[in-house]
Amino acid sequence: MQLRRQPLPAPRPGDARPAAQRLAGPLLLLLALQGAAASGGPEDSGWLQDAEPSSRLLSQAARAALHFFNFRAASPSALQVLANVLDGRAWEDEKRLGKCSAQVFFRNEKPRPAVNVTCSQLMKKERRQEEDYHLYKLMKQLESPLNAVSIPDSHGYIAPSLRPIWDLAFLGSSYVMWQKTTPFLHYYMSQISSVKQWKTNDDAIDFDYTVLLHEFSTQEIIPCHIHLVWYPSKPLKVKYHCQERQTPEEASGTEDGSAMALTELSNF
Amino acid sequence: MQSSPGGGVVPRLSPVGRRTLLACSFILAAALGQMNFTGDQVLRILAKNEKQLSLLRDLEGLKPQKVDFWRGPARPSLPVDMRVPFSELKDIKAYLESHGLAYNIMIKDIQVLLDEEREAMAKSRRLERSTSSFSYSSYHTLEEIYTWIDNFVTEHSDIVSKLQIGHSFENRSILVLKFSTGGSRRPAIWIDSGIHSREWITHATGIWIARKIVSEYGKDRVVTDVLNAMDVFLEIVSNPDGFAYTHSMNRLWRKNKSSRPGIFCIGVDLNRNWKSGFGGNGSNNNPCSETYHGPSPQSEPEVAAVVDFIMSHGSVKALISIHSYSQMLMYPYGHSLEPVSNQEELMWPAGSQLTGPMTVASSTPSASSSGTQGAMASCCPPRRSSPRPRRRGWPFGPSWRTHCIIPTDSTAEGRARGVVFFSKAWAPPETQVMDPFPIPALTP
Repeated sequence: MQLRRQPLPAPRPGDARPAAQRLAGPLLLLLALQGAAASGGPEDSGWLQDAEPSSRLLSQAARAALHFFNFRAASPSALQVLANVLDGRAWEDEKRLGKCSAQVFFRNEKPRPAVNVTCSQLMKKERRQEEDYHLYKLMKQLESPLNAVSIPDSHGYIAPSLRPIWDLAFLGSSYVMWQKTTPFLHYYMSQISSVKQWKTNDDAIDFDYTVLLHEFSTQEIIPCHIHLVWYPSKPLKVKYHCQERQTPEEASGTEDGSAMALTELSNF
Repeated sequence: MQSSPGGGVVPRLSPVGRRTLLACSFILAAALGQMNFTGDQVLRILAKNEKQLSLLRDLEGLKPQKVDFWRGPARPSLPVDMRVPFSELKDIKAYLESHGLAYNIMIKDIQVLLDEEREAMAKSRRLERSTSSFSYSSYHTLEEIYTWIDNFVTEHSDIVSKLQIGHSFENRSILVLKFSTGGSRRPAIWIDSGIHSREWITHATGIWIARKIVSEYGKDRVVTDVLNAMDVFLEIVSNPDGFAYTHSMNRLWRKNKSSRPGIFCIGVDLNRNWKSGFGGNGSNNNPCSETYHGPSPQSEPEVAAVVDFIMSHGSVKALISIHSYSQMLMYPYGHSLEPVSNQEELMWPAGSQLTGPMTVASSTPSASSSGTQGAMASCCPPRRSSPRPRRRGWPFGPSWRTHCIIPTDSTAEGRARGVVFFSKAWAPPETQVMDPFPIPALTP
């Protein structure tokens, strides 16, 4: 399994970022994934063997691919997290890890990279559909979790009965995070801060909520309002609006940091 | 509060009121040599007029004394509280009823309450006095941690002492634990946790480290050797104001709580306030930013206190800062990718060559010093021979593996700059893998 990287131009003097890279083409990656439930972390080991600047870029690409994969799979019971970004040198061959190869293309360092990803050795399709349907039935029976203030709570605890809500919220967030990932910004979902609506009148689950996304390089916490509609085995429908205090481009000078940005509609 | 003859609804006393009453009884009991108040009741009577009041005063005057007023008859509008011994209950109640005096049973059985209260007091005294009842598998408040620190120092005063190195912006004490087996002005290792207040797991880690040091000294060769030659300074709560805020108002607060006139946003990212690479990548000059570096290097009292301490000590050889999340070991500084002059020495593995780099980088929480996230160390994959145990709690966050402390060699002199300390090679015992802190905290 080869990992190919595009040759990287040397940083120009005056570059704001010493490791700035202008990408000529897509990044090709080999990823090892595992089920979110079995893992402990957003990235159990999101590290790489060597410390080249480009390895950080590969991590970014990997995460974007992962968010995209989760969104496309539209399967809250089969969310994947990144176990390894493989580098051609195989680690221990863990059978429970799924393997993916991905092609990630950041155009001019903008967010929402184009992703092409195929995976093997993940949960079998039938089983995944079963699990999803089981989850769906649980959610239908769930009393409206409008009173649940934070998931998880301050101590990191998610009540088992609320776990499906987390999974579904994460699914919706995957779309948002994929949309927002750039070579320099990456996200994880910290917390569901409120549930505005949880409807299961017709067949689908209609879920309206806000999450707090954590962006790693700026350390900012970004509230996003997400509205999704999910039915097992159907593609996910997502609308979102994130409230951002500032972007890196606006970093200097502003005193009042509140800037509304990035109102986007998706495939609704 | 309705009252009716023959008793009725028991009114709710405020906790303060109840406590005062009970305290009085307790003192009385103690003074009288542990009297028994079983079955005794406290009645609350509302006298409607002066006539009724005087009837109550008559009770007071009875010899031998049949009742004991906790709140004596004063004015018709004020309630009268009266302790009635069990043996007199029937008579007294009959007296009250026959005279149309309305009353409530405020306390149905004084002894029960006394027992409960005594037990609670003893229990809390036990909790406060010993670290053995401190729950290491849950998160704590600032007060709880500071109490734990006092108890810990008391219990291990041969090795540990407490230093106050300054005050936070909101005037909280900044505390450091000193681990020392003697000597004077020994070279030292500095460890801090909690500089970012939302990273709750790191405070827990600091506490864990403290316990590990004292429990392993005299048993583990490496810890013993290190402590015989060096001191360790451990600052568990490096950002007490921020930490208090994560408990009271905002779980995701990261910075300190300093404010400046004319500036809308509060707080400086303490880990961007150092003089090393100040203002560089990964920090921000916008006060509203999570990585706001502050107006100038070391402008924040929490940082200045640490700097003053370390500089005046003069012989600190290693500095380790603990953060969450991301499973990284970063060294020596976060703001530059340039290798430092003692790079090789820094990465020199402990123990035999066989354990190699595995030893150095196995399972640590991330350390992030000033500046960018771009600097990444050579890290080795943590070995896992068995599936990681599933944990209750957030499904993400640092995969909390063992916590290890390792010096780079037995003299530890001049080495171990910014490298984490390990106690037992890279294969820690199962008890450490099933970590005592199953709940991961938030962001670095």
